[in-house]
Amino acid sequence: MKYDGRKYVIITFITLIGIIYAFKLFYMQVVDDSWKLRAQEIAEKRREITPPRAVILDRNGKKVVENKTYYNLMMCEDEIVDLDTAAFGKLIGWTREEIRERFKEIKTEQGKFRNRQTGKMESNYRSFRTYPFLKEMTADEMSTIVPHLEQFPGFREEVSSMRNYPYGNAANILGYLAEANAEEVGPRKFYKNGDYIGRAGVERYYEEEIRGKKGIKYVVLDAVNDKVASFENGKYDTTAKQADPIHLGLDIELQAYGETLMQNKKGAIVAIEPKTGEILTLVSAPTYDPNLLVGKKKIKENYPDLVNDENKPLFPRPLASAYMPGSTFKTIQSLIGMQEGVITENTGIPCNKSVVGCHNHPSAQNVTQAVQMSCNPYFYAVTRRIIHQKKSKNINEDAAIGLGKWAEYMHSFGLGKKLESDLTGISSGVIPDPKYYDKWYGHNNWRFSTIRSISIGQGEVQLTPLQLANVAAIMANRGWYITPHVVKSVGDSGPLERFRKKNYTMVDRKYFDPVVEGMRRCVHEPGGTARRARIPGITMCGKTGTVEDQRELKGGKLLKRPNHSVFICFAPMDDPKIAVAVFIENAGGGGGTWAAPTASLIVEKYLNGEICEQNKPKEQRILDAKLSLWE
Amino acid sequence: MRKNQSLTGSVDWPLLIVVLLFMAMGIATVYSTAYNDDHPSLFDFSMVYGKQVMWVGVSLFLGILVFLIDSDIYRKFAVPIYGFSITLLVIVLFLPAKNGAHSWLGFGNLGIQPAEFAKIAVAILLARVLSDLNVNQQNIRTVLLTNAILLLPMALILLQNDAGTFIVFTSFLFVMYREGISYDPLILGLVNRIPGIRFKQTWLGTHFIPILFVVIFLSITTLLLSKETITLGFLPGEEFPGFYGLVFFLFIFCLVGYALLRLILSKRDRGRALIIAVIAFVLSTTISGAVNFGFDSLQPHQKVRIELFLGIIDDELADQAKDGEDYNRNRALAAVGSGGLTGRGYKNSMLANTRTGHVPESETDFIFCAYAEEWGFMGSVVLVAMYIFMMLRIVKIAERQRSRFNRVYAYSVAMILFYHCAVNIGMNIELAPVIGIPLPLFSYGGSSMMSFSMMLFILLKLDSQRKDVLN
Repeated sequence: MKYDGRKYVIITFITLIGIIYAFKLFYMQVVDDSWKLRAQEIAEKRREITPPRAVILDRNGKKVVENKTYYNLMMCEDEIVDLDTAAFGKLIGWTREEIRERFKEIKTEQGKFRNRQTGKMESNYRSFRTYPFLKEMTADEMSTIVPHLEQFPGFREEVSSMRNYPYGNAANILGYLAEANAEEVGPRKFYKNGDYIGRAGVERYYEEEIRGKKGIKYVVLDAVNDKVASFENGKYDTTAKQADPIHLGLDIELQAYGETLMQNKKGAIVAIEPKTGEILTLVSAPTYDPNLLVGKKKIKENYPDLVNDENKPLFPRPLASAYMPGSTFKTIQSLIGMQEGVITENTGIPCNKSVVGCHNHPSAQNVTQAVQMSCNPYFYAVTRRIIHQKKSKNINEDAAIGLGKWAEYMHSFGLGKKLESDLTGISSGVIPDPKYYDKWYGHNNWRFSTIRSISIGQGEVQLTPLQLANVAAIMANRGWYITPHVVKSVGDSGPLERFRKKNYTMVDRKYFDPVVEGMRRCVHEPGGTARRARIPGITMCGKTGTVEDQRELKGGKLLKRPNHSVFICFAPMDDPKIAVAVFIENAGGGGGTWAAPTASLIVEKYLNGEICEQNKPKEQRILDAKLSLWE
Repeated sequence: MRKNQSLTGSVDWPLLIVVLLFMAMGIATVYSTAYNDDHPSLFDFSMVYGKQVMWVGVSLFLGILVFLIDSDIYRKFAVPIYGFSITLLVIVLFLPAKNGAHSWLGFGNLGIQPAEFAKIAVAILLARVLSDLNVNQQNIRTVLLTNAILLLPMALILLQNDAGTFIVFTSFLFVMYREGISYDPLILGLVNRIPGIRFKQTWLGTHFIPILFVVIFLSITTLLLSKETITLGFLPGEEFPGFYGLVFFLFIFCLVGYALLRLILSKRDRGRALIIAVIAFVLSTTISGAVNFGFDSLQPHQKVRIELFLGIIDDELADQAKDGEDYNRNRALAAVGSGGLTGRGYKNSMLANTRTGHVPESETDFIFCAYAEEWGFMGSVVLVAMYIFMMLRIVKIAERQRSRFNRVYAYSVAMILFYHCAVNIGMNIELAPVIGIPLPLFSYGGSSMMSFSMMLFILLKLDSQRKDVLN
């Protein structure tokens, strides 16, 4: 036949296709591995299971931070059948308009991403996926809705865990959580979209210790990302593990008491256990209830109010606010003077009011009396002697050498430098050194008379209440401190290594006794400035401070506001269990008027567990006081 | 009574066995793909596998009926059968659409696709017409008549919006080619109008169909691969444009082709074979290159239109790309590729099953990827080899027929199967555009199972009676 040869064309075609397909199959299935990876990407997903965060306990084992179950009302558009918006709105207490808005919001705002095809930002909303319609509801709120959900197919409840603060205190220590931001979230990072991360306080500093270990579950998924089966019978799965509890040095009852005392005032109370450096109480006034910042909904609701509050409740005053320490500073000045040998324990200096103002009191015959009576001219003289030791013929150079040495002493007291604590947002305060004044006045263009206000803790000197409390702890320990910290132990591991180390000051142990004695007299002797701090049966050592608050406004006008009231103390004198610093802004009067009684109440509450009958009026007076130009 | 004796005696057993094997493997794969724990029975007729068992049963019953009927009726009633089929194709156009296509003729819950059966009708009529014609006398009338038989149902099917079946009908062109139908009358009619030109015959016109096929196949493959990059397992990190890979494969094919030809050919012809191999390589590379770079120079919206047609992207892409996921074809490719050398094992697929649903249509048009994922390269290559065997067997059957009617019919069956297999398997391994046509005797579906069975059983019947026919 004429065309019989053409059968070979057809046979060739068929055979060729067979060979080509076999080649291609070989390449795809045997040579090229990329499809296998792709298949795994599609079908096997790592599901991460986030454990609840570690609970946080106070020094007496009371739960300060725990986890509470919350509920989300989830919705899946594809499963919704004839939604009766009126009835549904009635159930959840919304208007039809609000419901419609919420649907729109979910559809347009859900997981925005850049579309590769169009280059536009689009929502990755899918009608077959489930999204939270109402978030973070309590069991009570949910219990009224759940029985009726059957009438609304497409809606169901979902359980989630969030922080809860049974005491509602210590917000500035504990901090708060917020959703991890775009930089913290990633495929190889711990956090995934929607995960919470510590944003302040202990929650932030101990984030890695608190967050626990995520569990990983490998699952085989179907096309709409619903789990179908576990992968290889869970061979590679790991379980989520909640971290061990965090033990705080904090005494939550004392903290709560301190916060109550500081109501209607601005300022700070810091109490430290001197032997361990554990922070017993750290009150930042005003404060806020940490429960206000739990979950996205509440943060959105309350955070702006807290940020905009003129009294700045979010600002951790004990850590970040640096104040002039006033006369409390004199304790350190006398120690440095003795260590430097410019005075002795028995050096007497007349109270010469022509140098600087002072109250009426007999001239101090020794260091103890000087501290007791808080004699301003005495400490002018002491500080001048420290600064000008005639180590250089040039008086200005001499001042620089002296101030340099002085600043070194101050640093050894943890001042003018950041305390390496376990709290975030710590300020270093200010201890001026020669460089500092060089910048102000020009190199070697200043001397003691230029900077003399630092002698009595005014002028350029600034301390945070935490540093001030640490000074009290140093006095209690007679010469050393352990860096103040809030966390006593993570699980059973005990304090961090650096919170076991004693930091010695540059002043020898022996020089502390006269100063401490002066502090005792401040409280217990007639003529002491802190008589309001007396507690029956407890020997307390304290030092008041009164800080003038005046500054020049533009145009040379002087703005004078009520004095800050400062007090540092520790007790009992011979076996100190607590060291306290109290700073009340613009309280008026002196350090003995407001700060001293407040500190004594803290000490009494801590040591005795209650306030004695005799001191009840004192307590009431503090509770009633509305100070600090409170708005 | 010789006819009755030949009922089983002269049946082509290899073809029959391979047909039955495909049916069994198809059921097994549908069962594994659509398996549902709540309905474990293979004979659960509420599940697709139960239904598939039923369709195979119905198809075998139809096959027995075909065997009982004298094969001469097809030849006799070729025109009425064709007419009936065309009528059905017209009727479905006025019925409501199902899945966007007016291709279903419904009987309650069940439905058939007249287009599937139109293939048989066209095969029969074409066989009848070609056997009646004196094709040695090529003229425009011959070309137009044969093409008209084809174009009428194709036009109706295009109106149904069923592009897949439309394309399958072009397989008859190969049959016409085999039978010597030449497009020369058309081409000469055009070319010879130019003054000064008077061809008696053109190479292009004579071999118009295979040339067209090669060009289309090359173009489509080029376009499909133009967006891909090739990575080689032993050269990690290196990426090559897909086009280079294609050129490389073309080179290998020409080389292998030449090597094979050398073995067969005499010394005298070896030189010619070399020239043909070189020309083939140069021409195919040129066509492929022209398509590749021509496509690049198109406007973006034109590209999208072509890519949509070829299934490189599809409408769902816009939706799925958002999740960073890929579209259906990619899923199918992942399923095939993840099968590896030996596969994941029966009922053990991860992607291509209805439980996970990562590959849509994994029991119908994309059933090959389900099979390939389970059985790996070994299984896939066996399946491809079985289909090639079946087609070559049918070609062999065709060539042994005394009657031209039988031969044309047999070639029609071979080429329809060839198209279905090439396109269906091809779209699972990115060598063909995504066109929704089933894998013969394998995919789930009543219409295709019944029509392929009837087609093949008619062939077996014709073949078993071949000795009775004289012309």
